[in-house]
Amino acid sequence: MFELADITTFIVSISVFLILFVKVYVVAAVLFSLPIPLTWIERKVAGHIQVRLGPFTVGPHGILQPIADTLKSFSKEDVIPEKADRLIFILAPLIALVPACMVFVAIPFGESVTIPYINYELTLYIADMNVALLYILAISGLGIYGIIFGGWASNSKYAVLGGLRSAAQMISYEVALSFAAIGVVMLSNSLSLVEIVKSQAGGFWNWNLFYLPVGPVWFIIFIIAGIAEINRIPFDLPEDEGTLGAGFSVEYSGMKFAFFPLAEYIAMTTVSILAVLMFLGGWNTPFPGAPVVPPIFWFGIKVLAFIYFFMWTRFTFPRYRYDQLMTIGWKILIPICLVNLLVTGFMRILL
Amino acid sequence: MEQIFFIGFAVLAIVSALAVVSLRNPVHSALCLMVCLFQVACIFVLLRSPFLAVVQIFIYVGAVMVLFLFVVMILDIRKVMLGSLVGKRSGFVYAIMPLVTLEFLLVIFKGGLGKVASNIPSGEEVKVAVIGKELFTKYLFPFEVVSILLLVAMVGAIVLAKDRDEGA
Amino acid sequence: MKKGRNVSRKIEGGLIGLLKKIFFIDLLTGMSVTLGYNLGKSITMRYPHEEKWIPYPRFRGVHTLNRDDEGRELCVACELCVAACPTDCITVVPEEDLTGRGIADRVPKVWTVNLVRCLFCGYCEDACPTTAVRLSRDYELATTDFSRTVRNRDELLQPPAIPETVKGGVVVEARYDKKNMKVRANMLRQKDWWKSKLNLG
Ligand code: SF4
Ligand code: SF4
Repeated sequence: MFELADITTFIVSISVFLILFVKVYVVAAVLFSLPIPLTWIERKVAGHIQVRLGPFTVGPHGILQPIADTLKSFSKEDVIPEKADRLIFILAPLIALVPACMVFVAIPFGESVTIPYINYELTLYIADMNVALLYILAISGLGIYGIIFGGWASNSKYAVLGGLRSAAQMISYEVALSFAAIGVVMLSNSLSLVEIVKSQAGGFWNWNLFYLPVGPVWFIIFIIAGIAEINRIPFDLPEDEGTLGAGFSVEYSGMKFAFFPLAEYIAMTTVSILAVLMFLGGWNTPFPGAPVVPPIFWFGIKVLAFIYFFMWTRFTFPRYRYDQLMTIGWKILIPICLVNLLVTGFMRILL
Repeated sequence: MEQIFFIGFAVLAIVSALAVVSLRNPVHSALCLMVCLFQVACIFVLLRSPFLAVVQIFIYVGAVMVLFLFVVMILDIRKVMLGSLVGKRSGFVYAIMPLVTLEFLLVIFKGGLGKVASNIPSGEEVKVAVIGKELFTKYLFPFEVVSILLLVAMVGAIVLAKDRDEGA
Repeated sequence: MKKGRNVSRKIEGGLIGLLKKIFFIDLLTGMSVTLGYNLGKSITMRYPHEEKWIPYPRFRGVHTLNRDDEGRELCVACELCVAACPTDCITVVPEEDLTGRGIADRVPKVWTVNLVRCLFCGYCEDACPTTAVRLSRDYELATTDFSRTVRNRDELLQPPAIPETVKGGVVVEARYDKKNMKVRANMLRQKDWWKSKLNLG
């Protein structure tokens, strides 16, 4: 015999589980289809910045090009070098991809929406951890292992050099990135991303970016270190075509290779989202008086702007030399971080 | 439910820890060490201490292991794999091993490890703010000692890495 | 003690240089340039789907054999082009013909040019005493069918896709015909195209 209460609690817990499942599923589906529009946008941006048109043949304005590329990757021969460390060689693309996706457990896309008709309040995040920011930094840092292991397991000089470069680069810029995160935590008094966004509500002058004078400095440090973390030009030394062939991924082919750009695009989105959440007020509207649009709209616009920004810089700047990269990381960014940390601390105590 | 997860994490942690010391290829060992540290982080989560878990991943898996790998990758793997795991002074190693084991067991069972976090309510998620407050009030002195130790290590590393002729 | 290594590099350009560095002036300048390009018009010619380039008359493409005003073949099968050709790619076999097919009683039975060997030097054109062979402005020679690389007399006697009256140096509308793998330019072949340019004098 079941009590009625038992059954209702059972149904509630099942539905909670189901909702969580659906959320995870949706996020995963979006993540895996993300590179399809992103590669198209990136190639279009690349084309127009170089006064060309970009892909134009497959579908209207080449919009189906990424699908053709995917099919091509799938149908290509999957070569594993004879002297490679087979297990790690196969694992490496996964090690690159999985942490990039794991990050999205902690990323909020909005506060909550009430679904009409059934009056259910749906939160737009999978988990609101009270250490979300740290979690994201920690897990996204793991993606670098895919590059390091992939480079090493290929048993190729160029690949191993790419892996080494990536390791050193990651160590150097993780410090600056974490400092920028600490700065934001000091400004917003919380490690939870939802709280951080809430603390920036009400107009763009409340954003952490405009917490003068330290906000912009943190923002610039975060952006520079973020670009270095996701290995994009001007910091893409691990895959430097000019000197290393294709760096860590030189021995990869077919779908295994495609995992690396996939991970890179997801990481790029993560950094864009983090920048928006931490500095640009997340889903808060910039102009409180303006007509009301769903918060997710602002969020999307801001993230897209950031993604465009990353592509724009990619096709504008040349690559740094390796010693320049290290100099920027250790001798410029970190001292600025320390000074800025001090200033931020004083401002928070005294103001 | 939690028990099952704990057993899973613990078994994986122990197996990977054993693999770290028994595998011949140092890169495989490093990978196993990563897995081991990751499992320990998972156990921290089960112990309602997400901050420690995240910091564990951040520092050990994220940063320290990268440095390990950096060094290991420069090694000539084939030469290292041919060499013996236990060197010539193996007698010394065998003699010291039970001693170290005994010491660890003593620290775990007789040491004051259990008492450290006593004034944090058990079973609840440990807030970051609580940890911060404890660290900067009650445990300020050990905290500072550790910082100085790290500083000393850093200075030492720089001195060692410096060119000989430049130091004079 | 080595000096110079520890001396910090002077920032170029003094105070203004420093300010420029702090506010990323140089980087922003570069980014504004690329933004301008991004928003501006691209210079890509959408060949074969929408546009096609019509070369100048001096362009040397595939050969054509010409006719005179009355439609008679100009070639007299003198084989001077064969002699002039540096790559030996023209084959001419003469025959006697009294029906008035050509301007003389000697006409080519076979006139083929091997376009794979041809280097489009135009020597054949120069050597020809009757201006029978000319290099037209057709440049779409890519093919998946190897036999298409040798053109025979009948094909070469067809009017070229770009009539000689067209001045060239322009981009015209075009469209790609997938089935025949041909680019159809929006320019009709004129019926008596040879009349306009023929100059026997
Ligand atoms: S263009 Fe030159 S190579 Fe070609 S057929 Fe004429 S003479 Fe020979
Ligand atoms: S094309 Fe001219 S040169 Fe060649 S055989 Fe005919 S008439 Fe003589």
